[in-house]
Amino acid sequence: MMTPPLMLLALVVGLPVLEAVMLSFDRVVLTRPKLAGDFTFHNYARLVGDADAWMAVLRSCLYMCGTVFGSIVLGLSAALLTRRIVRFRGLWRSIFILPWTMPAIVAAMVWGVMYDANFGILNQLLRMLPFVDGNVEWLLDKSIILPALIVVQVWNEFPVAYIFFLAALHSIPDELYEAASVDGASPFQQFLFVTLPQIRFVLSVIVVLLLIFGFRAFPVIFLLTGGRTETLTVATFNAAFRSYDFSYAATLGVLAICVSMVLVLIYLQLTLRNGKAEAAS
Amino acid sequence: MSAGPAMRRSAAARTLHMVALTGLAIVVAFPVYWMIVLAMTPLGFSRQITSILPSDLTFDNFASLVVERPMLRWLWNSTLVATLSSGISMLIGLSCGYALSRLRFRGSYVVLVLVLASQMVPSTSILVPLYTLFMDLGLLNTIHGVVIGHISLVLPLAIWMSKGFFDSLPEELEGAARLDGCSRLGALWFVAIPLVSPGLAAIFVYGFVTSWNDFLFPRHFVQSENLWTAAAGLTSFRGEYFTLFEPQMAASIVFAFPVVVLFFFLQRRMVSGSLTGGVK
Repeated sequence: MMTPPLMLLALVVGLPVLEAVMLSFDRVVLTRPKLAGDFTFHNYARLVGDADAWMAVLRSCLYMCGTVFGSIVLGLSAALLTRRIVRFRGLWRSIFILPWTMPAIVAAMVWGVMYDANFGILNQLLRMLPFVDGNVEWLLDKSIILPALIVVQVWNEFPVAYIFFLAALHSIPDELYEAASVDGASPFQQFLFVTLPQIRFVLSVIVVLLLIFGFRAFPVIFLLTGGRTETLTVATFNAAFRSYDFSYAATLGVLAICVSMVLVLIYLQLTLRNGKAEAAS
Repeated sequence: MSAGPAMRRSAAARTLHMVALTGLAIVVAFPVYWMIVLAMTPLGFSRQITSILPSDLTFDNFASLVVERPMLRWLWNSTLVATLSSGISMLIGLSCGYALSRLRFRGSYVVLVLVLASQMVPSTSILVPLYTLFMDLGLLNTIHGVVIGHISLVLPLAIWMSKGFFDSLPEELEGAARLDGCSRLGALWFVAIPLVSPGLAAIFVYGFVTSWNDFLFPRHFVQSENLWTAAAGLTSFRGEYFTLFEPQMAASIVFAFPVVVLFFFLQRRMVSGSLTGGVK
């Protein structure tokens, strides 16, 4: 009775991955159909020596670290600021969850309009300030583009961190803070020695989860740069739909699958240990 | 005596708190506010901004979506694709989730890890092999190709979530039904499924939103604009209407609206679901 659904699962989920692996050992290039058909390590050999691909991996890493850091700072700040709010509690929380409800495409569209060098609101606001150059090429300047993209991603996904942190903060017993303030701890010390240790587990789970999100990120980067800034996901796409080299794209895709497998295993280890620790305490 | 300075400091702290909170909220909400303002103002408002308040309001931008672009058609396609792929995923996910929850077989943990992993894999990694598969199967440029593609995106989460729901359901309930003469399928249908039906709604909404939001598959599997979903259509705006911000924003609102409504409607369940599945 259970076999058919599991087989269907293998078909729908397993088949694309299998096909990706098979493609990566072949040479399916749409512009040169004669190359296809032989088993070859060509693509993996090419990947090892491909400086652009490793730059893309590095860029993915920077993007992941930037979004994780930004989302945690923003999510934790918002959670700390709203934790004891009594009036308009639902309204404040809705405001901080709102960006998460926006589809990534819409986030990219809105920020694309705001970032526009000539008519974007950001530059128009900057021009009102004295002594400021209001002609920032947010999406063209090579030193600004990655941070600019990270800001969009952080805006879109920090509510995940916010929701986690809010739940974690609410589970800290008030007695801990009372005891700390009796002992003369300043608010900052209370944060450092009471809050932080109490939310450690949640923090680690969020870090891994956001690393996964950052690694998968595609719509924001692709739509805002037209694919010019290559992270590993964008490089995969470009290899297939710009160079029509499906085999090399599949090779990059397999690399991405391996990286996300590692991240998922770390995530599972963490949540499993977290669950056990909670059960024990 | 000693209460005086303490009280003053707490009043100052409270003011500081409110200032920080309001400031942060304004920054976070501004892009959404700006999207709405631009969508409701006449063309060209964004060229020369004199105020961040709208000058005169208009619905022309929304009308132009329908008149100049096949937006209604795209929205209909989106609804169709999202309903089908989410509904089918829910049915398959339900049976797989039940199997993984109730049956202990060798490797069931491995299957579970693989399910979660396939949810976390970047969709660009799946796009390429699916494209060549669909090329061979003649599924390119068809709506059902997009539906199948989206099932592969949604199904892992549907399985993961329904396994969670069945896990929280005591097995004794079905055991009792089976003692009363119910078959295993009967126990699933008459006892287990009605009890997890609130969860089913969450799975459906999740799948619907995932499919609705994805532009990668419809945009690249399908060439003819008539078969695009709204997500695919929306992304084409950025290229063609590059500096016409107002219609872009109107289209963004029309596209985001159903998702935002669904999200806040089911907020509680969506939030807890996003924690277990870890996906948008």
